[in-house]
Amino acid sequence: MNVLEPRLAKLALKGDQQAFAELVDLYQDKLFHMAYRMLNSRQEAEDVVQDTFLRVYKNLDRYDDTLKFSTWIYRIATNLCIDRLRKRRPTYSLDAESNDHEGLDGYSMIPGDNRTPESEMLLSDTQRIIHAAIASLPPKYKTVMTLRYMQDLSLQEIGDVLEMPVTTIKTRVHRGREFLRKKLEHKL
Amino acid sequence: MNCNVAIVWMHDYLDGELPREDIAALKSHLASCPACRSRFELLQKTDAAAFQTLEAIKPAAGYDKKASEQLTQRIMQQLPKQQSKERNRFVRFIYRYPGVTAAAVFALVMLGSFFTMWEEDNKLIVAGEDLQQVVIEGNTVIVPEGAHLTGNLTVENGTADVQGKVDGNVTVIDGELNLASTGYIAGQSRTIDQALDWFWYKVTQTFGGSAR
Repeated sequence: MNVLEPRLAKLALKGDQQAFAELVDLYQDKLFHMAYRMLNSRQEAEDVVQDTFLRVYKNLDRYDDTLKFSTWIYRIATNLCIDRLRKRRPTYSLDAESNDHEGLDGYSMIPGDNRTPESEMLLSDTQRIIHAAIASLPPKYKTVMTLRYMQDLSLQEIGDVLEMPVTTIKTRVHRGREFLRKKLEHKL
Repeated sequence: MNCNVAIVWMHDYLDGELPREDIAALKSHLASCPACRSRFELLQKTDAAAFQTLEAIKPAAGYDKKASEQLTQRIMQQLPKQQSKERNRFVRFIYRYPGVTAAAVFALVMLGSFFTMWEEDNKLIVAGEDLQQVVIEGNTVIVPEGAHLTGNLTVENGTADVQGKVDGNVTVIDGELNLASTGYIAGQSRTIDQALDWFWYKVTQTFGGSAR
C-alpha cells in the first residue's frame, strides 16, 4: 500500500497546506478526466473536482487509514458525479415550441458559443458510436463500466469505491460488456 | 467444456481474474468451438474499443496545463482558513459532549459564586424580619430579655445570645448559639459550621428564595 498519501493526508490535517497541494497535484487531473467521462461537461467536471477536494479537506480527520487514499477520493468524486447525474433535468426537445416565448423553439435558446456536450468532444465516428453505446447503458452499469474502463482500478477497488461487494461488480461488468457487445455487434 | 462456463471464463479473462491453468482450458475450448471463438473475439474487440474511446474522451476546448493550474489555484483558494478550523475543533467538542459542557459551565458558575460568598464571610451579618429589638455588642447579637422577635433571625460570623423570645427559626453560621434560660425559640435553631453544610444552606436558600 502506498504510504505517501496517508502521510500527506496526516500533514494536511495538521494544517500543512503544502502537503494538501501535493495531494491535489496527484489527483486533480485523474479526477477531472473521470468526472468528465461521467458528465461529459467540462464545467461540471471542474466543479466536481473542486467539490471533491473541498470535501476531502473538510473530512481529513475522518479518513480511515485502512482504506486506500485513492479509493476514498474516488468514492467522494464518484458520488458527486452520480448526484449530478441524478439531478440533471430531463432533456427537453429542441424542436418543441416554448410555452413562454411564442414562436421560439429550443434552438434559439442555445447560447451562442454552442458548447453542447457532444460538440465539446473530439471523437472519431467509430468512437462516437461506442460512446453512444456506453451512454445508453442503464445507469447502474454505466458507472461500473466507466470506472472499469478508464482507471486502472481492480474489480475489488471498484467495489470499495462504490461500496458494493466485488461479486456484484463482477456481474455488472459481465452484463455491461455483453450489453455493449450486442449493441456493437455489427458496427465494429 | 460447457459453452456457458466458457463465457463466464471469457469475462474473467478479460477482467484479468482467470487463473493460469484455467486460461489453458479456455484456450483449448476456443480452439474447438467456433461459436465461442467468434464471441470471444467480439468481446475482446468491444473491450478494447470501449477502453480506447473512454481514453479518447477529452474536452475539445483543451483541458491543458494552464487550465489545470487555474483549477489547482481555485481549489487551494477555496480551502477554509486554518484559524476557523481550530475553532471548529472546539465547537465540535461542544457538540459532541453537550452534557460535559453544561456540567463544566455549571460547576464553574457555582464555584465562582461559592468563592465570592466565602470571601465575604469575615463580617458579621445579621438578617431577620424584626431587627429593631436586637442589640449588637461587638461580635455578639443579643436578643434582650423581654424582647419578642416576630420572624426569623440569622447570624453569620458571630454569637447569638438569645435571652428573649423568637417566633421563627434561629440560624447561626460559623458561630455559636447561646440560649439563656429565659430565652425561647419557637421555630428551629440551627448552627452551621462546616463548609459543606454552609454551601448546602446557601444553595437551598438561593433556590428557595428565587422559587418563592
